[in-house]
Amino acid sequence: MAGSALRRLMAEYKQLTINPPEGIIAGPINEENFFEWEALITGPEGTCFEGGIFPAKLHFPPDYPLSPPKMEFTCEMFHPNIYADGRVCISILHAPGDDPMGYESSAERWSPVQSVEKILLSVVSMLAEPNDESGANVDAAKMWREDREQFNKIAEKLVRKTLSLE
Amino acid sequence: MPVTLVDRLPLPNLKVYTAGSVSLLSIAVYYALSVTSDPNWRANSTLARQDSIESGQGEQRSIPDQLQPNSTRNVSEQFVDVITFMMQEPLCMWTLINIAYCSLAVFGFAVQRLVFGPLRVAEAQRVKDKFWNYVFYKFIFVFGVINVQYMDEVLLWCSWFTLVGFLHLLGQLCKDRYEYLSSSPHSGGWAHVRLACLLAGILAAAAALLAAAAVWGLPAGRDTFAFMAAECVLVLVGALHVAARYALALCAADAAGAAAYYVALGFEAAALLAELALAAAQVAQCSMLVSMASLVLLLQLRHLLHELQARLRRHRLYTALATHMSRNYPMASKEEVEKNQDNCAICWEPMKEARKLPCSHLFHNSCLCQWVQQDASCPTCRRALAAGPAAPRQDAARHPNHLFHFDGSRYVSWLPSFSVEVTRVRPEAALAGAQLDAAAAQLQLMFPQHSRAALAADLARTRSADLTLDNILEGRLPPAAPPRPAPPPPRPAPARADAATMAAATPADPADGAGRFSRCAAEREAQLRRRKQQLVEAARRRYLARLAPRS
Ligand SMILES: [Zn+2]
Ligand SMILES: [Zn+2]
Repeated sequence: MAGSALRRLMAEYKQLTINPPEGIIAGPINEENFFEWEALITGPEGTCFEGGIFPAKLHFPPDYPLSPPKMEFTCEMFHPNIYADGRVCISILHAPGDDPMGYESSAERWSPVQSVEKILLSVVSMLAEPNDESGANVDAAKMWREDREQFNKIAEKLVRKTLSLE
Repeated sequence: MPVTLVDRLPLPNLKVYTAGSVSLLSIAVYYALSVTSDPNWRANSTLARQDSIESGQGEQRSIPDQLQPNSTRNVSEQFVDVITFMMQEPLCMWTLINIAYCSLAVFGFAVQRLVFGPLRVAEAQRVKDKFWNYVFYKFIFVFGVINVQYMDEVLLWCSWFTLVGFLHLLGQLCKDRYEYLSSSPHSGGWAHVRLACLLAGILAAAAALLAAAAVWGLPAGRDTFAFMAAECVLVLVGALHVAARYALALCAADAAGAAAYYVALGFEAAALLAELALAAAQVAQCSMLVSMASLVLLLQLRHLLHELQARLRRHRLYTALATHMSRNYPMASKEEVEKNQDNCAICWEPMKEARKLPCSHLFHNSCLCQWVQQDASCPTCRRALAAGPAAPRQDAARHPNHLFHFDGSRYVSWLPSFSVEVTRVRPEAALAGAQLDAAAAQLQLMFPQHSRAALAADLARTRSADLTLDNILEGRLPPAAPPRPAPPPPRPAPARADAATMAAATPADPADGAGRFSRCAAEREAQLRRRKQQLVEAARRRYLARLAPRS
């Protein structure tokens, strides 16, 4: 089981190295443990997260790609779809069986044809367009709806922090 | 069955041990030389020993002709003398045994360096576990089951088990390394050749040991032979399994196909049955005595039976699923597979044969089987499929374990204490109360960054130290105060530095960027680190450049 997971992860790693999507880097921190990756995601242009480099960890289950990985940001984040501890709440990362929010159609959820690259690209678009219906961070969702200026200010601060400019 | 060694023995490293052994040996040889340089040493030592008549079966030479002083002893005679003397003298004898173990360790180290290179963490851990597990059961066997009375018998069994155990460990390493090599895309051909050579060596050595068991074990009785042979058979089965997988890979068989499945089933069942027979024979041997040993063996027997049962259950599930798949979804025709240029979307590997879903998406049979157990829909287009036989959830399939404590010091004072985790049959009688606290305390010693309360809570949930250990190791149980990765050292980024100097400070290495995937793991890691650093630095430059016109 773990053998096929390893082969698939290696194939994805190779693809992400040879042909990386713009502004995204991902790979195992230490190849002793191929099931623990770190990813760097560039904040999308034209949004309040523009220019920031956001580090995140990906934990892959031994039966990957049958089950989705878990993803959490390791930097400070303030976003409607990111929990305070950094965990990312996004439908593509939910296994078909569980639906904690009860609003996703199964088409949006995890399937083995998804990949690390697709996950990271979804996260980039999530940064650009928060889904304020999911309540991973209620404060952030509220501020996003009601006080966009304040939200942008906080995001700007986070961007500076990820670049160690503060 | 994992053995957690509670009190780890402080083992010296190999260099110190070898140096110590060699110096001990040279002292012993010097002593032997000085004694045997006296032509009459044999008479002296025999006279000294005459009163205490011991078993010494090696010394049957007639004393009278040795008594004649032989002034022209050549080197080989002296060598024989030295060896004979050393075999007689207990201290020298122990030195010889020690040097034998030492050379075995050095040999093992050389093989490891030659074939495996540095061991991966998981491999080292597996070997360590296997080693202590093996030592534990063989100790039980020698002192609990066959109840040896004489020192020389103990020595013989120990040397036998040392040799077989050595092969066991090498076999385990081969298996782990084979799995690693076969799953990593860039494994050099030489690594495979070296591994195959070692495998052949293990097979030959195990066969030779089996022959030795037949020659020396059979005269000593059927039971002795059976016990000696069983271990060799286990080594042989393990090594043959890896060899068979090599053969399958050479025939380019689907790694998850039916042939591979039945080979794995056959070998796993054979190994389990052999182990079961060995444990049963041991229990039968000590059936009259209700002792610590028989209890441990009975627990092992029960564990093995459970394993066998679980294996059979998995096999039934596999066959049920196979019939379900073949009844509902036909295999794609050859033309369809050829026309389909894409790899299997589940494992990303090319398809030689495939199963076709009603939506005309193609997948490997084995990949699809695994997915359908989890979710009855097409992975690509999410169209619903007829539900197949569902696999039991992994958590439910694993019985919570319980800790079995073995206090070695009750037998011999220097023996360590073990805790063996044994599969528990009644899951409702779980870790509770004092047992749970003890397990939490023990886990906290191993993982000081976790709070005792969190560990106890997880133990109460999983009801097994083993499952909690898995949770910790796989990161499902985060440390109490999550050690946030320290932010990168705040570089005194020159706020007004012009882009040119910044660019000069971080020369962009074109060979380093994307587009190249190194064959060497260390190189890949370094490349990834550099790419990350470059991304962050480039972003910082852009950010400052964007900021500059504003202020
Ligand atoms: Zn496949
Ligand atoms: Zn489909």
